[in-house]
Amino acid sequence: MLRYSLRRLAIGAGMLIALSMLIFLLLRLTPGDPIDAYIDPNVPMSPTDLANLRRSLGLDQPLPLQYLGWLQNALTGNLGYSIKRLDQPVLSLVLSRIGPTVLLMGSALVIAIIAGIAVGVFSAVRRNSLADLSFSVFALAGISSPAFLSALIGLYVFSVRLHWMPSGGMLTPGEEFSIGDLIHHLILPAALLSIAQAALITRYMRASLLEVLNQDYVRTARAKGVKEFWVITKHALRNALLPIVTLIGSTVGLAIGGAIFIESVFNWPGMGLLLVNAVETRDYPVIMGATLVIGICVIIVNLLTDITYAVVDPRIKVG
Amino acid sequence: MRRAYRLSVIALAAMLPTTAIPALVGQARAATLSGGFDVGPGGFQGNFNPLAATAGFTWLSIYYEPLVAYDEKLQKVVGELASSYEVSPDQKTYTFKLTNAKWHDGQAFTAKDAKFTIGLAMNAKTGSVLAARLQSISSVETPDEHTVVVKLSAPTGSFLDTMTKVMMLPEHALSSIPADQLAKSTWWSTTPIGTGPFKFTKYVSDQYVELAANTEYRAGKPALERIINRYFANPAAAIAALRSGEIQFTYVDSNDVPTFKDDKNFKVIEGDSFVVNYLGFNHDSPIWKDPRVRKAVMYAINRDAIIKSLYGGAAKPANCAYVAEQLIPKGVDGYAYDPAKAKQLLTEAGWDQINGSKPITLLTYYTTPLATNVLAAVQAMLAQVGINVVPRAVDAPTYNSIVLNAKPDVAQFQMVYAGLQNGPDAGSINVGLNESQIPPAGANVVRARMPDLSAALNAALTETDSSKRDGRYQDVCKVMNTNLPWATLWVAKRYGIVSSKVKDFVWTPAPGGGPYQANPQKWSIAE
Repeated sequence: MLRYSLRRLAIGAGMLIALSMLIFLLLRLTPGDPIDAYIDPNVPMSPTDLANLRRSLGLDQPLPLQYLGWLQNALTGNLGYSIKRLDQPVLSLVLSRIGPTVLLMGSALVIAIIAGIAVGVFSAVRRNSLADLSFSVFALAGISSPAFLSALIGLYVFSVRLHWMPSGGMLTPGEEFSIGDLIHHLILPAALLSIAQAALITRYMRASLLEVLNQDYVRTARAKGVKEFWVITKHALRNALLPIVTLIGSTVGLAIGGAIFIESVFNWPGMGLLLVNAVETRDYPVIMGATLVIGICVIIVNLLTDITYAVVDPRIKVG
Repeated sequence: MRRAYRLSVIALAAMLPTTAIPALVGQARAATLSGGFDVGPGGFQGNFNPLAATAGFTWLSIYYEPLVAYDEKLQKVVGELASSYEVSPDQKTYTFKLTNAKWHDGQAFTAKDAKFTIGLAMNAKTGSVLAARLQSISSVETPDEHTVVVKLSAPTGSFLDTMTKVMMLPEHALSSIPADQLAKSTWWSTTPIGTGPFKFTKYVSDQYVELAANTEYRAGKPALERIINRYFANPAAAIAALRSGEIQFTYVDSNDVPTFKDDKNFKVIEGDSFVVNYLGFNHDSPIWKDPRVRKAVMYAINRDAIIKSLYGGAAKPANCAYVAEQLIPKGVDGYAYDPAKAKQLLTEAGWDQINGSKPITLLTYYTTPLATNVLAAVQAMLAQVGINVVPRAVDAPTYNSIVLNAKPDVAQFQMVYAGLQNGPDAGSINVGLNESQIPPAGANVVRARMPDLSAALNAALTETDSSKRDGRYQDVCKVMNTNLPWATLWVAKRYGIVSSKVKDFVWTPAPGGGPYQANPQKWSIAE
């Protein structure tokens, strides 16, 4: 297990280097550099000043040199400074955003898992009932609705119209920190972010449980006179959950994508908002730093998923 | 019975704090004004360093102050930290008399601070975006604690306009930081001090900035206790917060104004954008060579209809870069909508041979819904006379990288839909039209090479007699109206929305957000 994990991590490190090269190249292929983003076309700036800025940021160097310089610094843990805010080291900026994003995605994941499994099991047990059908319609709508759309609708309904929830941010500005305030700000974005995942889990849970319920050992259990409740929870559910574990691991990527939208709509101070703002201002060092950290997270989550799978299903051997 | 009684007592006791707390919170919040001060084109969210500020002065000028600022109508430059200023007859010496002001840490603001700050702003190493504009300064002298004398190597018409953007900084707090490290200092977003009516208290990353009243302010103790500047990803998010009562002020796009117009809870603030919108002919492209073709474009566009239906009347048609009355000479051509005349001019010029119906790329960085509609209308109107433009909207960095390129790819922007600052200093447009400003030297993105236009601009910029200056800019207007380096469209209004609870609030959509005399110490908010 340990050797397997180490090998996976070594491959991951190689992937990170490849990822950083790819992002670096893609960024340079994007029209406009940080200085172009600095200029408001309506209020032109002096080209001399712009050239000075470019030089001071090292943007006039040849690309391979720029990349090697970045890599050399990155390997020593120095990810440079944000171009938009030269007083901000990228590393601390990115690290300060992990907490809020993990909080948002974690809450969304918990909501999605609880709701998805509960609804999925219910739908499978009462299959083809009216409730099952309506849940199926909801799940389909949930899978098909893009995060930015549900975010905007949710924002409009719950904050602008009903005034139940704050329209954005993580804490009320100017107030002392309180858990209640944090949860009040968290509920809406987390619930909206969980929609797609919950719907996906519901569908898979239903299908997977139906498949298990048709297995011989379930029929045997029923024939032995085990109560239906125990048949489902004790015999069927454990096996039906196996594909769900993999699914949850693989939806983390989806959740990151959704989180980027949700964070920018709700101004949630996480990685997604940081990344969107950085892309808008072509803040190269921040984009590089943020994608690197996201890459590390995805690699670790995938590894954990595989290990969990091995724990849950004794038939699987890793390594 | 007894149990019911006991229960009701407990219930009442439990209710007491819940009724008492909102009252307390209400008082604490009463003197706090929250707003989206950095929303919209005049904002610069996340920038704390006035030397690097290309915009965002609406907010910065609440805690920093310049020596001089515009009045709230943006018509003349008045004293701020300088109680008065004098200009020598040869326009080369500016003498500022300083007022008695104190930094937020209690130390006195003196001429030494002013000299230090101008030095920082002139030095490109600090990351200053004003260095090039202050190049004409030959010396800064401080004869005494309350006098600053700035000498210029040549008269510079825009000098005072530039000085309004130089926010005074404390020498005692910053002199120990090397110039090239200044932009990287954490001082700006942690412990900055200015001389303004409010002082910096905290910044919560990407969320908000909070200022507290400077009770020692020289013009009186501020009415508000706190001002909070909330960050928003876009105007739509700010409007959501405004509607839900979380903030009391924000900039809004003009197509959002109608929803607030009849709402008693809000006041609409209207102001001149000081940005002229135009269709820029890329003069490097041979298709626009014939002036008749450029005139045809002017006649083909029904500007009045677009202003009426899309801007809700909130724009003035422009027949040169200006709409301010004192800058418009008599007898400029109004180019009233006349598609028949446009077609006739195109026929005379032989448009079929020049380009015919080949698609013409119309590049823009305006991505608002309003701009999309404007471009659709322009496209349809030009198509009616036989000019086939295809709008392409990109984000500002992409636009800049295409049009400011030293070796431009003409095919990517045969035409642009853009805007350029045309005031409060009328000389602002020089950078976009003078032949000497063709990229990479400046922002003449349409590559206008018109000797009489450049000559008119140079004459206006070097005019030392301020009584003659407007006449010089009238000449610029005349040349533009005849030669059509651009097809000028209009100068639109911009809007802010403020809660009716807020009193004595001064805001105007100034280019770059100001600075102008907003008197934040007088702002107040009702219960």
